Amino acid sequence: MLDAMTTPHPPTILIVDDDEGHAILIRENLEAAGLRNPVAHYRDGQALLDFFASRPVGAHQSFLILLDIRMPKVDGIEVLRRLKADDALAKLPVIMLTTTDDAREVERCYELGCSVYIQKPVDYDRFAEAIRRLGLFVTLLLLPEVSK
Amino acid sequence: MPVPENPSSTDRETLERDLHATVRELREVKAALDEHSIVAITDSSGKITYVNDKFCAISKYERAELLGQDHRIINSGHHPSSFFRDLWTTIVHGKVWHGEIKNRAKDGTYYWVDTTIFPFLNEAGKPRQFVAIRTDITQRKASEDELQRVAAELAEKNKELEAIVYTVSHDLRSPLVNVQGFGKQLSRACETIRAAAAASDGKISLEPLQKPLEVTIPQALKFINAGVNKMESLLAGLLRYSRLGRVALNLRPLNINAGIAEILAAMKFQLDEVKAEVRVDPLPACVGDSVQTSQVFSNLLDNALKYRDPARPLRIVIKGEVRDGQSIYSVADNGIGIAPEHQAKVFDIFHRLNPDLATGEGLGLTIAQRVLERQKGRIWVEGQAGVGTTFYVSLPATDTHA
Repeated sequence: MLDAMTTPHPPTILIVDDDEGHAILIRENLEAAGLRNPVAHYRDGQALLDFFASRPVGAHQSFLILLDIRMPKVDGIEVLRRLKADDALAKLPVIMLTTTDDAREVERCYELGCSVYIQKPVDYDRFAEAIRRLGLFVTLLLLPEVSK
Repeated sequence: MPVPENPSSTDRETLERDLHATVRELREVKAALDEHSIVAITDSSGKITYVNDKFCAISKYERAELLGQDHRIINSGHHPSSFFRDLWTTIVHGKVWHGEIKNRAKDGTYYWVDTTIFPFLNEAGKPRQFVAIRTDITQRKASEDELQRVAAELAEKNKELEAIVYTVSHDLRSPLVNVQGFGKQLSRACETIRAAAAASDGKISLEPLQKPLEVTIPQALKFINAGVNKMESLLAGLLRYSRLGRVALNLRPLNINAGIAEILAAMKFQLDEVKAEVRVDPLPACVGDSVQTSQVFSNLLDNALKYRDPARPLRIVIKGEVRDGQSIYSVADNGIGIAPEHQAKVFDIFHRLNPDLATGEGLGLTIAQRVLERQKGRIWVEGQAGVGTTFYVSLPATDTHA
């Protein structure tokens, strides 16, 4: 909680999940665990990619992405691949948050560069802790750029 | 030059009689052979000099069309030229050739023959002529092909099924996450209401809230959670099962005694706790996947422990022998046993004979069976209710034992 409140730009958490219930549960449980980050929800991979495509170039805002794998249109693996292939977005931390625990899929996600892989249903306290750490990391990473 | 001894008339009569008898016998043997087999004779260069009726019938050629030709007339093109080269090399060296040949009849249809070619040698030991005796195995070949096709199709379907099970299990977990998550939300909201009511100093009347807050909601949530947990463990089991077919096997000779010693060491605490006595005989080696085979034995020992008879101390005896190229192991216990009518069902997925006795998914034996099938092994059970259970595991024996 401290990290998010004391740092000037707490990262916005982008939840990408086609299941509205899952998105609500994630948001409410993170709030219950004390996280105060702004949260936005995208219903599939395409919606998230559209959001990034429409942002003005050079806008300083930090994000943390929670990504489901099985989604219509563009799935989570493809989103992860495209984010990591984009120089401007490659550094964004991505938490894969999905029902799959298939070893090959987990390995694939880490190979593609996801920060953390968590299987649903999650232990929200530990989940919030992981987000705090990653969120702090993002803030530290982006602060010099903001202050210059 | 010595004058040949003139045979006496009785000797000549005997000789002629013998000759007649031999010729008659040969004729009968040939008739019997013609009745059963497809027969052809060629000269030393391979030109056909004789064919019987069955040869004409199956090849659909007239006898006149065949005589003077060589066997290329019925070549189907199925076999590589090296196949016939090897055949020819064998017989010109005076050896018998045996094999299966696919031929083409005059009308373009194909037939398979199980063939023996026997060279008749001259005084110099060189082939004088070749006799080919064949049996029509077209039907058997068709059955073999069909069997192979069905086996391949079955393997494909099995893979498909595993893929379906995998996908379905995942898709089913998704709504489950909601049921579980929102169940927790309800439970938390319930707490909030209870706390608010308690803190209101009687401004909120607890009376009408009491039953829902204390009984109805907690009971509903308890069953919702139990349902979720059960579903979760079933899905986890299904996922585990569906993955079995995709795990790569590392087949090598296994020392089963060492494997079982490791399992027993890991289970020592539980075994000592119930004062179990375990006897392990010297066991033959086998060929299998170390990890998966260990899992099978670990599961059997675990079952022996779970389903022991509390009325007597648990005794487990593990024995092994090699029979017909298979190493067969038995794990016998003196537990509660399985009635014969229930024995087949213990391998069914999610089937649990005594769900109240111990925890589990009803998956251990199903997985053991699947795992062994993939390693050309088998598992089966014998035993009597009230006396004990013996599980048998068979795996291919190592070469030294075969």
